[in-house]
Amino acid sequence: MPEAIELRGLTRWYGKRRGVIDLEANVHEGEVFGFLGPNGAGKTTTIRMLLGLIRSSSGTARVLGLDPWTDAAALHRRLAHLGSDPGYLGDMNAASLLDYLGALRGLPRGAWRRFAERLELDPSVPVRKLSRGNRQKVGVVQVFMGPEPLLVMDEPSTGLDPLMQREFLALVAEARAEGRTVFLSSHNLPEVERACDRVAIIREGRLVKIATVAALVGDHTRSVNLVLGSSAPEGAFALPGVTVLSSTGQDVHLMVRGDVNALIGRLGDLDVRDIAISTPDVEDLFFRYYEGTVAGSEKRDLTTEQPEAVRGEAPR
Amino acid sequence: MIGLAFRLELHRSRVIAVGLAIVVLLYGGLIAALYPILLANTAMIEDYMKLFPKEIMAGFGMTGSLADPGIFFTTYIGSFLWPVVAAIAAIVLATRPSAADADRGWADVVLATPLTRSRHLGAGILGQAVVLAALAFVTVGGVLGVGALVGAGFDTGRFLAAAAVLWLFGCAMAGVTSLVAVITLSRGAAAAVTAGLLIAMYLLNIVAQVQPDLAWLGGLSAFRYAGVGALIDSGSVDWVGVGVFAVVAVAGWAASLVLFRRRDLLP
Repeated sequence: MPEAIELRGLTRWYGKRRGVIDLEANVHEGEVFGFLGPNGAGKTTTIRMLLGLIRSSSGTARVLGLDPWTDAAALHRRLAHLGSDPGYLGDMNAASLLDYLGALRGLPRGAWRRFAERLELDPSVPVRKLSRGNRQKVGVVQVFMGPEPLLVMDEPSTGLDPLMQREFLALVAEARAEGRTVFLSSHNLPEVERACDRVAIIREGRLVKIATVAALVGDHTRSVNLVLGSSAPEGAFALPGVTVLSSTGQDVHLMVRGDVNALIGRLGDLDVRDIAISTPDVEDLFFRYYEGTVAGSEKRDLTTEQPEAVRGEAPR
Repeated sequence: MIGLAFRLELHRSRVIAVGLAIVVLLYGGLIAALYPILLANTAMIEDYMKLFPKEIMAGFGMTGSLADPGIFFTTYIGSFLWPVVAAIAAIVLATRPSAADADRGWADVVLATPLTRSRHLGAGILGQAVVLAALAFVTVGGVLGVGALVGAGFDTGRFLAAAAVLWLFGCAMAGVTSLVAVITLSRGAAAAVTAGLLIAMYLLNIVAQVQPDLAWLGGLSAFRYAGVGALIDSGSVDWVGVGVFAVVAVAGWAASLVLFRRRDLLP
């Protein structure tokens, strides 16, 4: 499968301060790839290396088959970028700014217009007078207005209201339908869950998980609350992947990891009056990975866990 | 593509350029308007000047009579107003494409497009050269214009040649500032270095004039080469000075371009 982005041991130190360490990942052409992590985790450092704005300390990055540092000029003809807080020139209005950036990318004047209309952006207002959300709209318009096959976005929907976030997600979906690749750094977890095919979670400069959203949500721990007609016999829940978090006779709280068939089979033997099963969203998973805690009391060292991309090809 | 970036650079420079142009026009015009009064009272002024040590006067560019247009221009403009104006313009303009744009995030925006680092900085350098040229010629133009109105009799050709020297002096400052800005990526550091160098060279020139034993230090000062008195009064060009300014400007800008291509751009 052709790769839009390939990271091999990509590492960046700022003196003795950690940027990112040993990143290994592939972003497939045509997919929407989410890059999740809290502030300071290394998302922006990674993006700056992908754009050729900074060099790696070791390891390599290939973007659309090019080295971002040595082939920056060729690469920048094929990607569009939106930074987390773009430093637009305040005294230009959005129309002039977008025309200028469009001209640098070889786009005709007014290429931005239909996107500005979709996002309800007034192009006549000087950028310094725009609210945070409207400035972000300028960035979203700017990144989508060209035909580049790779879109790299850092916190793209920050400040957008829910309606505009929905419009943004529609634009991402359209880009994917056109076969373009989207690299989306975010800590807006619902957005990532809705927009992305695959997600990488970065924590303290290291990738701790790369998987499809479906796999992340599927390979998770469910919370199961039971109300029984009578107390369960001793060892009733001694099943693979099942942990009893609390049991007060008829009220039982379980955490179930992986396959639930064994539990369902066992429940058939019990007098179940009520059952509630909650599945975590990406947000729950993210916090679990970030906090280094899974399956209730079970802990693992996530900093040493190999990302799935290293172990083998992640499913699309 | 560099044309687009250059036009934007000029657009971004309009406030500082117009502001400084107004200052040099007003000041130059006022000084030129006073020239006939100074001429009418030359004898009295020269008697007064004799009270001061000759070396001190030389340190401030007064190496002859203030009635001489060249000495007059050097004293009030060439070694006083212009270095200040050129330093302000150099600091604002030459730190912008690298340090200031990296700091505000504009560099990230444009350098993620097909605009290369060399073209981005090259457009900035062209903008510096053009704005400094405009300011130098406006400075001289103000003096010449008001001088013509009050019948000062200034030699237009020699004054315009002096403007070219002023421009080169400004370009040298911009070249150095541009290089420091690329190395440090800090507008504050670049401004401090430029202003510090300028003040140090000004003092060095005075010390070299006042202390004959230390006269050799004067060769290290840009102010030694910035005087245009002889050029205006006798038409003789200080080619060494012109060469020094040109070499420093070109070397500073060229080194900036080379280093900027290799520089990690950190916000």
